Parts: sequence; structure tokens; C-alpha cells
Amino acid sequence: MIRFIVKRDGRKVSFNEDKISNAIRKALISAHPDDKSTSQYEEDLVEKFTRQVIQEIEKKNLSEPSVENTQDIIEKVLIKEGMAAEAKNFILYRQNRTNIRTYNTDLTKIFRDLTSKSTADMDLKRENANIDANAPMGLMLRFGSEGSKDYVKRYVLRPEHSIAHSRGDIHIHDLDFYMLTINCCQISLKGLFERGFSTGHGFLREPQSIQSAAALCCIAIQSNQNDQHGGQSIPLFEYDLAPYVAISYSKHLCKVMNVCLRNDDYDLTEIKDLCKDLYKKNNTCLSEDSSEQIRNKVLEFLDKYKPGCDHQEDVKYIMDEAFKLTERETYQSMEALIHNLNSMQSRAGAQVPFSSINYGTGTTIEQRMIMKNVLMATDAGLGGGETPIFPVQIFKVKDGINTKPGDPNYDLFELACKVSAKRLFPNFSFLDAPYNIQYYKEGHPETEVAVMGCRTRVFSNYYDKTKEIIPGRGNLSFTTINLPRLAIDAHGSISKFYESLDKMVYMVFDQLMERFNLIAKKQVLNYPFLMGQGVWLDSDKLNPEDKIEDVIKHGSMSVGFIGLAECLVALVGKHHGESKEAYELGYNIIKHMRELTDKKTVESGLNFTLFSTPAEGLSGRFVKIDKKLYGEIKGVTDRDYYTNSFHVPVYYDISAAEKIKIEGPFHALCNAGAISYVEMDGDLTKNIKAFQDVILYMKDCGVGYGSINHPVDRCPVCNYVGVIGDVCPRCGRRDGEGVSIERLRKLGVGCICTG
Amino acid sequence: MQTRLHARNGVIGEGVKFERIRRVTGYLVGTLDRFNNGKRAEERDRVKHMHV
Repeated sequence: MIRFIVKRDGRKVSFNEDKISNAIRKALISAHPDDKSTSQYEEDLVEKFTRQVIQEIEKKNLSEPSVENTQDIIEKVLIKEGMAAEAKNFILYRQNRTNIRTYNTDLTKIFRDLTSKSTADMDLKRENANIDANAPMGLMLRFGSEGSKDYVKRYVLRPEHSIAHSRGDIHIHDLDFYMLTINCCQISLKGLFERGFSTGHGFLREPQSIQSAAALCCIAIQSNQNDQHGGQSIPLFEYDLAPYVAISYSKHLCKVMNVCLRNDDYDLTEIKDLCKDLYKKNNTCLSEDSSEQIRNKVLEFLDKYKPGCDHQEDVKYIMDEAFKLTERETYQSMEALIHNLNSMQSRAGAQVPFSSINYGTGTTIEQRMIMKNVLMATDAGLGGGETPIFPVQIFKVKDGINTKPGDPNYDLFELACKVSAKRLFPNFSFLDAPYNIQYYKEGHPETEVAVMGCRTRVFSNYYDKTKEIIPGRGNLSFTTINLPRLAIDAHGSISKFYESLDKMVYMVFDQLMERFNLIAKKQVLNYPFLMGQGVWLDSDKLNPEDKIEDVIKHGSMSVGFIGLAECLVALVGKHHGESKEAYELGYNIIKHMRELTDKKTVESGLNFTLFSTPAEGLSGRFVKIDKKLYGEIKGVTDRDYYTNSFHVPVYYDISAAEKIKIEGPFHALCNAGAISYVEMDGDLTKNIKAFQDVILYMKDCGVGYGSINHPVDRCPVCNYVGVIGDVCPRCGRRDGEGVSIERLRKLGVGCICTG
Repeated sequence: MQTRLHARNGVIGEGVKFERIRRVTGYLVGTLDRFNNGKRAEERDRVKHMHV
């Protein structure tokens, strides 16, 4: 006999059967919301189910059941009796009540923890490693972010999406920005610079040197980052900046002439104009052909201003010196760009912009000068020799341009490998992969695939096939599916797995569309840089009050996934790195997902794509919940992370070649972007050939974007950069140990702050 | 080069940790301390793919 029930606040009240009947009645009515009354048949059901619930409580020997477990039992009885819709509504109703009840407590607890716990103790504060949540602005951002997430989860998302997110079936990324903005953009600097642009408090004219162009490049990245929640990429780095190398050259040329002529007042505008014309005509001022014409002009002026002398030697000096000065300025510009992108702040000072630059195929002397110098500046590192964290650099690998000795940019590919072996950047993207080359048009660098640093790429454009280009487009948003959970729930039944996968993917489609519809109503004026300055494709055709709905259709919406490896272990006991059968199943699963996104694209006319999610914050989230739900399952939930996307697990011993071969085919399927990594050890700078071979092997295996991971350590005391085991190879200290001033001095390290 | 670290009793760098730059999911990070728990565990578990 049940006499009491324990309420949520711990109070004991007398047990009332009618309350259970009422709950069940409401659930039944919810299935036909238009008619609020119950039929006799339903009343009989209510009585029957109520009896079952009470029996269940008694069977469990709960003399004083709680409200919570009584509701659990009601849920179970409804499901058992085949009342699927009613049970679902009951679950939603409960979630809704919980929401209202916990409205104050959850958020208050998060806010309290944010202020009182250190970053080291709080995982939430380390969700994104490049945001410092210890600093006031980083913390402020977290406050806003957590408040916004809470609001979106309770009041904006459809309840089933909110529950799916909270329970860890899916992860809706960047929930805090749900109602605010879209993810990322591939920025073309060309249009921005030629038109000039405004960042809010003044108009910036077209830059007139490589130095200012590089500085404005950073400003553009920073400004755009403030309008979006994801990263910013420059897809045509060397193409966009090359014209300004030429302008710098013409300026240096005139300056050196002035010096040679010992007179600042001579009018040399004609020289500058010639350089401009030649650049327009030949796309370069520095080729042999252009140089020849410039040389003649210089000679003409020398003869004019200093007649009667032999100027052959002067001309040579002037031309060489101008070139040298240009090269020097380009280096300094690239050095400044890298320093800026690691120090300038965005988002109220919480973080540096997440920036990426793509380059590799430009073959003019100006373009090559930019690439060589950005690589050299990366190699040199930041002011204290530190490895630059930003921008993410992506070297575009293309047959006939940079893959074989004799190719015009082969030397730059070699240099890129050398720098990457020391600094982890650049990464490498592969233009010849079949899924990339289909869009490639020679002489149109805007059709060369480029990626965002995180791996996102946006290329195909079903919405407007005449604009299948890279610049001005980006991802709108993405949501990731927890594959291992679907597999665990399928209990080894492949067909059941596919069935639930389909349901999940369709739910994500709905959720992505809802998000799209929210953002589509925003106006151009909400995005003063991204849309207001015409960065986003076709936004230049809109007025400030116009809705952005049509132009954001150029962007992509992506379904992501995590943990293919764990999913396969749960389904067939092995992952795709260790068994051919598992590999085939894994490939088919991802292929199936891609077919679904393709189908959705055709149905909706919008760009739905499949994403191998980077999982910056997500790597440990799902597995933590799943471990609680299902316990530790070997090879599935027994680690603190799910394996990234389709990767072979990091703990699995496999050769580099084998790993690349297995992962390669997945790149073709993930049209929203993917990356493959190979882990290497030791000092790779001593074995550049091996490094290069691995990169080229990636290309041969159909990888679209890849990189080699290796440890890069630095000793802040003596500034050694390389692999540091327990002891620094240079100054001999262990982690945390001190070194004497004398010893450092012997190593050539001076100490500014003695005493 | 010059170090900006302060010397204490003629010794520099006591308590200063090595910087260990790693890449787990996409972006580089200058110190492992800023990785979340999942990423830390993943970095720890990695094996090298040395046999090319």
C-alpha cells in the first residue's frame, strides 16, 4: 500500500492516485489536441494504465515513491502499451516542466562556477582552447554565451531538438549564436581593396603598398570575424596581395632613382604609370618582359635628367636595389601580418581572429615573393621565436605547378614542407582530387578549392550553379550526430542502425532549416562588414534594410558526425582500421549520409553538405553522457573522447601509408570538409624528404586536406624550439627548473631583467 | 637573443614550464593547459605512424 509520495523538494505528501490518472489522461488528449475531451474507450485506458503504474510501483517495493520515478514509470507503461505519440508528448511535457523549474538554478550555477572556479578545474572554461576564459573579456564572453545557450535551449529550439541536444543525440554547434549570425566566410580581398572599405568609423582607401595591404588584410579579417561566429579565410592570398607588391616596387624604383640623381624633385610619375600599365597588361612588373621595358624607361629618364653620362651601371644598380627593397618590404609585411594575426583582438578582446590563408598556385614573381616571404616569416616565428598559432596556412598542391622538380612553384612546395616540419603550418590541400578538379578552371583561381582553418570548405553551389566559386561564401551552420550512440542502441542490428540514422539525419535537416529561417530574416545592417561591405557573395546588391535570405542561400548547411570508429566497434566489434568488413560498413554508412544530404539539397534547392566535424569542444561531450547511460563499453565508451569524424583511432598502431589509404576515400564523401593527420615523431626538419613523400602520398590517395602532426616544443628560458623530452637540449633544464644567468650568457641569451 | 624572464638569485626560469604546441582537431594551441579534457586524453593516447 502506497501512502506517501516524495515531492521534488523533499516534502512528503499523501499519495493520490488521481494525479497519476490525470497525467495519463493529459498524455492521451495530447494525441488529439483539437478535442480536449476523452472517449469512454480512453477513460478505460486511463484506468487500466493507472492500475499498471501502481502495480509497477508496488512491485518495485517503493513504499514512498518520488514524483520523478513515478513519472518514469508512466513513461514506460505508455511505451509498453504502444502509445508512441502519447509517450513522446509526455516526455516533452516533462522536459518543459523541468525547464521551467530549473530556469534559475542551472544558469545561476554556471555563472557561479564561471566566476569562482579556475580554468584548470572547469572544463567549460576550456571548451575552446583559443579563448582565454581566465581573462575578464573571455569570461564576459562566456557569461553571454552561457546565458544565450540557455535561452535558446529553453525557448527557441523545438523541444525535440532541444532534448536531442541536451541528451547528446546531436550537438547543435554554436548554440549561443543561434539567433544572431552565420558561421564563416571565405573572403576575397580583391574587391574589398579595390573599392576601399569602411569598418565603421572611417573609410579606408585602396592600399598603396604591400605593407598597408597586409595590414588591411588583417583588419578585414578582424572586422569580418566580429560579424560571424566562426573563422575567416583568405582563399586567394597571393593573388589578392600581389598587385600591392608591384605598387611597392614602383615606389622603391622611383626612390632609388631620386637618390641616384641626388634630387627629390624630379617628376617620375611616368615611371609609376608605366609600372601600373605593365601590371595591368602582364599581371606582373617583375617579369623579364616587364623589367626590360621599365629598364628602358629608367634609362630614358636618367639620360634626360643627367645627360651625357653612361648610365648602364646606374640602371643595373637601381633595378637591383628596387627589387631588393621590395623583397625586404614584402618580408616585413608578412612578418607583421603574422604578428598581427596572433596579437590583434576580436570579439571584445576575448580572442584573436580565427584566420586562415590559402596559397600555392600563383606563379608570377610578385605572387611567389609573397608566398616565399610568408613562409620565411613563419619559419622565423614570433618575437620570442614562438610558433605562430594563426593564421592557419594552407598550401595548395597542384600537379604541373608545384609537385615535381621543374614545376614553377616546386621550390615553394619544398619550402612549405620544410616550414611545416618545424612549425606545423602550412597544411596541404589537394586541388587534383577528383571532387575538387571538377570545379577547377585554369586561369581562374577563384575556382581553386580553399579551406577554412578548421577544415570547412564550401564549393558546390546547387542554389546558383553559375556561382560555384570559393570567394564570398561560407558555412551557415552545422549540427553533429552522435554515431556511437545510434550504434549502441541498435544492439548489433545494422538495419536498425540505418533506420535510426535516417531519422536522426532528417531531424537535423529540420533543425538546420529552422535555424536558417531565423537568420534569413536578418537584415544587411545587422552585419555591417560581412554584408554591408559586400564581403558575402551578392550582398553588394542589397540595401541596408534588405533581408539576407536570398544571399545566404549561397552558403552551406552541414550535417556533421563524430566517432565512426566507435560506432563500428559497437556494431561489428571492430573499427575500420583493423577489419576490411568494418571498413566497408563504415564507408557505406558515410556514403549513405552523403546521399541523404545530396537528396535534401535537390529537394530544398539549398546547399546541404556532409561534414567531418572538427569537434573542438565536442570531442569529450558525447562520450561522457554515453558512459553514464551505457557504462564502459570496450572500444566504444572506455576513453574520454570519441574518435574524430572518420579518422582511424589515434591509439591504433598503424603505418602512415595505411592510415592515409583508409581515410582518403572518405574525403570525397565529406563535401563540407575533412582533414587527415599523420603523427610523426622526432626532428622532422632533418628529414624533409620523408615529410614531402607523406604529403604527396596523401595526394595520390584522394585526400583533400591533410597535415602532419609532430611535437613542437619551446623552452621559454633559452628559446629552443624543437622536440623537448624531459630536458631542454639547449640549456639543459628540466620543466620548471631555473638556469643561471652565466650559463644563459654562454648560450648567447642575455637577461634584460636582472636583480 | 634576450630573455624577458626575471632572474631570482642569479637564476632564471624557475617555475616556467616548457611550451608544448599541439594540434588535435584543427587549430594549434600554444599550451596543453588550455585543452579541454577530451582533447587532452586524445593527445595522450596518440601513437606515431612512423613505419611509412
